Formats: sequence, structure tokens, C-alpha cells
Amino acid sequence: MMDTVTFLLAGALLAGTPLLIAALGELITEKAGVLNLSVEGMMALGAVSAFITATTTGNYWLALLVGGIAAAALSAVFAFVVLITLGNQVATGIAVGVLGIGLSGLIGRNYESSTIAPMVKMPIPGLSEIPVLGPGLFNHVALVYLVPVLAVLTWWTLRSTRLGFVIRAVGESPVAAHAIGYNVVLIRFCAVLYGGFCAGVAGGFISVASATLWSDGIIAGRGWIVVALVVFGTWRAGRIAIGAYLFGAATLAGLLVQSFGVAIPSQLLTSVPYIVTIAAISLLSMNPAKARLNAPVSLGQVYLETK
Amino acid sequence: MKRAITTAALAVILAGQAFAEDLKIGFLYPSPSADVGWSKQIDLGREAIVAAFGDRVTTTVVENVPEGPDAARVMNQMVSDEAGMLVLGSFGYMNDGLKLAQQSPDLAILHASGFKQSTNLGTFTARNYEGFYLAGLAAGKLTEKDTIGIVAAFAIPEVVAEVNAIALAVHKVNPEATIKIVWVNTWFDPPKEQEAARALISQGADVLFSLHQDTPSVVNVAEAEGVQVVNTNSDMSSYGPNSVLASVTTDWSKYFVAQVQTKLDGGFQGGDFRGGLADGAVKVVSWGKKLSEADKAEILAIEAEMIAGTAHAFTGPITDQAGTERVAAGAVLPDADIFSMNWLVAGVDGTMPN
Repeated sequence: MMDTVTFLLAGALLAGTPLLIAALGELITEKAGVLNLSVEGMMALGAVSAFITATTTGNYWLALLVGGIAAAALSAVFAFVVLITLGNQVATGIAVGVLGIGLSGLIGRNYESSTIAPMVKMPIPGLSEIPVLGPGLFNHVALVYLVPVLAVLTWWTLRSTRLGFVIRAVGESPVAAHAIGYNVVLIRFCAVLYGGFCAGVAGGFISVASATLWSDGIIAGRGWIVVALVVFGTWRAGRIAIGAYLFGAATLAGLLVQSFGVAIPSQLLTSVPYIVTIAAISLLSMNPAKARLNAPVSLGQVYLETK
Repeated sequence: MKRAITTAALAVILAGQAFAEDLKIGFLYPSPSADVGWSKQIDLGREAIVAAFGDRVTTTVVENVPEGPDAARVMNQMVSDEAGMLVLGSFGYMNDGLKLAQQSPDLAILHASGFKQSTNLGTFTARNYEGFYLAGLAAGKLTEKDTIGIVAAFAIPEVVAEVNAIALAVHKVNPEATIKIVWVNTWFDPPKEQEAARALISQGADVLFSLHQDTPSVVNVAEAEGVQVVNTNSDMSSYGPNSVLASVTTDWSKYFVAQVQTKLDGGFQGGDFRGGLADGAVKVVSWGKKLSEADKAEILAIEAEMIAGTAHAFTGPITDQAGTERVAAGAVLPDADIFSMNWLVAGVDGTMPN
């Protein structure tokens, strides 16, 4: 049975993992200058596609892959509208998000409220036997360990690789990037697809690895938390990671305090994660110059290629 | 209940299109009708109507209807398609339903869990607390760590009454037991409900109550963590063969069939139906394997007394958390107080969220 600390550690990792996966994808999208607000819908579509795949094939890795591809396909619709037909990014993102939620409910009709055996855990030999910390931190499905690695890779890619420079250049000044010969639309398209893929995997993680059930509406606003996390993390992978796990831990702490029987109104506890996140955003943006340093300059702006 | 979902995603099912029928009945559900859950239980009532009246009725279902303008539109559409009766499956359809009832005096409306009636709009509510009282007795007997954990949706009177019934029952058979409660403050967020369940387990709870979670979210956690669980609405024992201690289910079949009959006979009158164990509207099913035959027999005997009206979940003396006596010894809490409950009984290890 779990004790309090083990529960908090294990739960924060479990709750933070899907948020972080999707946020790292959204980070790349936004770094390339595109604001995709359809994360909620992409996660829902990823969740249902992964759930159906896992139920029918029993292959969880394939399920996550299918979830990612399904969400990437949806993000292609978004990318087409905002990059090719030059639609407004905010409006299109919201519309595509709603489409994704609706589609997921439709596709998942016959699977509504079904459950699935959880994805097999991969305890890390040795480490998982450490008392308290072991079962909390080192007894999870493989994806939970891989995501921090992805965060480091994302940070390194954006900071020190040619690919990272190109993505950032396109997000900072598409005109300049175009002038030196980069295909801005193509790069942005790929960044949106990558963000969609990550959101789909994140949704799949929720349906086949953590909640292990499908129900219409299961994402329950997590997609919006992801969008907020990218801003909260001021477009830096490390801070986004801290934010994701912090949000997970704060949610659990609220539930935990209630279960202690402490006389604090539960509505207050329910809102703690949001308060923490908002407070953090405010603190970080107190220095606007610093925050703006990381914000992609052309974020959300329509880019019309001039030949 | 659920977040707004576009009308584009509304799934419309037309069930049994017979001609020359006497009555068209439209159903609105707040969530998709899955294998389990609130909407499913209402849909079972619809099936009972079809089984009872056959060709004389046609039923139409629109599920996943967001409360608000969308619901009003769906209702109006059904009425213009000549529906003579509507069954509104969510509290939030109340105002639109009342307005429509006023505009169409020939229409008969049944509204779930509302508190306003009119001549042609009747409400139906389940006395789930009766079922949870029985399940609470079982929980008190089974808990090895003397800790019961409750995952509760919102602190509305209906849910508060269930929490209190559980606490009274548990303490009746096991005065030492601690009752912990987590309000998730959402009708629908399966991952969060599961986190709440794990939080309670981490605090030693070995019997969980899943109050008004529409999916098997908490049952799933209980099965994985090896604890017992009592759930709401549907029989979820197939999701937790080793963990479900009991399912407190709602069954509207008898009530629906009777109401349709009065409508067909031309004598429909909007009433205030509060169905419990005695009406068959609340049933406790799938008692778990862990419950001994002797304990089960004892609980079923109390169930028989409750059905006969000789026993009641809220029999005094009952004191609240502040120590005020709410029900005197031997007295029974009046119905009006049960359906407006906003206080927790002494011995619940948690607070009301106001």
C-alpha cells in the first residue's frame, strides 16, 4: 500500500507526464511562431485513438504511436488553415480544438466508459527498491522516465543545434528566415505536426497508461493547462518541466489535504494548482524584458510569404 | 454536467420507427449513454417503456446535450416533431423544461432531480442514501484498517445525504472507524477522481465510496490497488470483480412505465417522485465476495425493514459536526430536511466545502 510521500511523488509524476509531453510539443510549435490552441482537442483525439488501438491490438506502444499520428493529422488541418489559407491562429485553434473533442466522442462511442488493463510498469532495478522514494519515483511505465529526457533533448535542440536555430529563426523573424533561404511555411508546418504528435501521445498516455479508461471529456481541461504551462515556463523547456510536475503535485496536495480531514474549504484546495500557476506566471513576467527575451516575436502573427 | 460540446458532435439515435403510434417520447441525456453511468440508467428506463408498450410508443434519444441553449433547441425540435412526452435527464434542463411546459400544456415532462414542478412537469429523484446506508454497513464490517474513503462529486444536498448515510451506517457497526472524504468539485474528470481515490488509499482507506462518478474511474483504481469500493448508478462489478463491494444503482423502469401509462390514459399530472428501496428505484446489487454470508443476511434484513418502513437511514439521535443535535433519539429526519441537507454528521473526518 502507498504511504503519503510515495503517493505524492508517484502521483505528481503520473499527472505531470502527459502535461509535459504535450507542453514540449506546443513549445516547438510556438517557438516556430505558431500558436496552436487546439491542444485539448488533439489530446482527446489522441486519447481515443490510442485507447481503441490498445484495446484491439493489445500493443500499448503502437497505441501511443497511433494516438500521436491521429492528433498530428488533426493538427495538419489547423496548419493548413493558418499557414496556407492564412486564417487567424487563435480562432482556428479553438475551432479545430472543438472539432477534435467532437470527433473523439464520435469515434469513441462504442468504447464509452470502457476500461483497459494498465500499461506494464517498468520498475528500475535497484532504484525502485529504495524505501519511500523507490516506489514513488522509479516504479512507472517507461514513458514516465523518457519524458524528462525529452525535455533535456528539447532544451539542447533549441539551444545548440542547427535545427533549433532554424525553428527559432522562423519564429523570431519569418521574413529574415525566408530571406536567407528557409522555407518558413514548411518548417512551421512540421513544427505544428510535431506539436500535434506530442499532444496525441500525451492524450494516449492518459487513456492507456494512467486513467486506463476512455470516456468522452476525459481530458477535462488539461489541454488548456498545457497552453498555460508553455507561457508559465516562458518558452523554456526546463521551466515548463518544473511547471508540469509542480501542477501535478499541487493538484494532488489539494486532494491529500482534504483526505487528512483538515478544515480548509475544498474549493480553495481545488483552485490551488491554478493559483500557484497564476502566481508563478505573474512572478516570472514581473520582468517583462526577460520574459520577452524567450517569447517568439512573431508568435500568432499571420505570415504572408513575399516572393 | 459536461463541458459544452458542439451540436455537430451530438449523436442522434432514432429508436424503433413505428407508424400509427399513440405517443412519441423524447429523451435528453447530459452525457453519452455508455455501458454504465447516469444516462445509461435512464436509457434502461426507456427500454422498459418500449418493452411495456411496444408499438404504442416511439422513443427518440438525443444524448450528450449541453445544458443551456442547446438543450432548449433540442427540446423545441422534439416538440415540433410531435413528441407528446419528454424525459429530461439532467438537473440543468430545469428552466428550459419549465418554460416549455408552460408553453405546451398538452406536453408531459419528466425531469430528473429538479425541485420545481408544474401541472404537466413532474420530477424524479432517487433516495440513493438508502442504498448507501446499506453499503455503509458492509463497509464498516469489512474495513480492516478502520478507514473509509469517500470520493464525492459536489456538496449538493443529494450527495451530502449520501455521505451522512454512509457515516451513520459505518459507525453503527464499527464506532472506531475513521471516515475520510475528498470533494473533487467536478461532475466529470476521471483522472482527478482517480487521484482522489489514490490519495485516500495513501491515508489508509481500504473501502472506497465512489459518489456520482459516471465512469468506472475509482473502481479501476480500487481493483488495481486491492481495496474495496462501492459505486453509484450502474452495476460496475464487471470492472472490478475483486473490488466491488456493492453497486448502488438507480432503476427508473417502474416509474417511467407508470407515468407513460397515465399519459396514454390522459391523466398525466406532474408530481414529485422520490424513489427509494421500497419503490425499486434504488437497488443495491452485486454484493462482493468478501462480505460473509452472515453479514450479508444481516444487511438484507435491514434492507427488508427499510422497504417495510420500519427502519430509516436517518433515525435519531443524530448530531452534526458542531455537536448540535439534528434529530432527537427515536425521531426520523423529515423528508424536507433530507433533501436540503447542508451539514455533516459527527464523526466525518472532513468538512463541508463552504
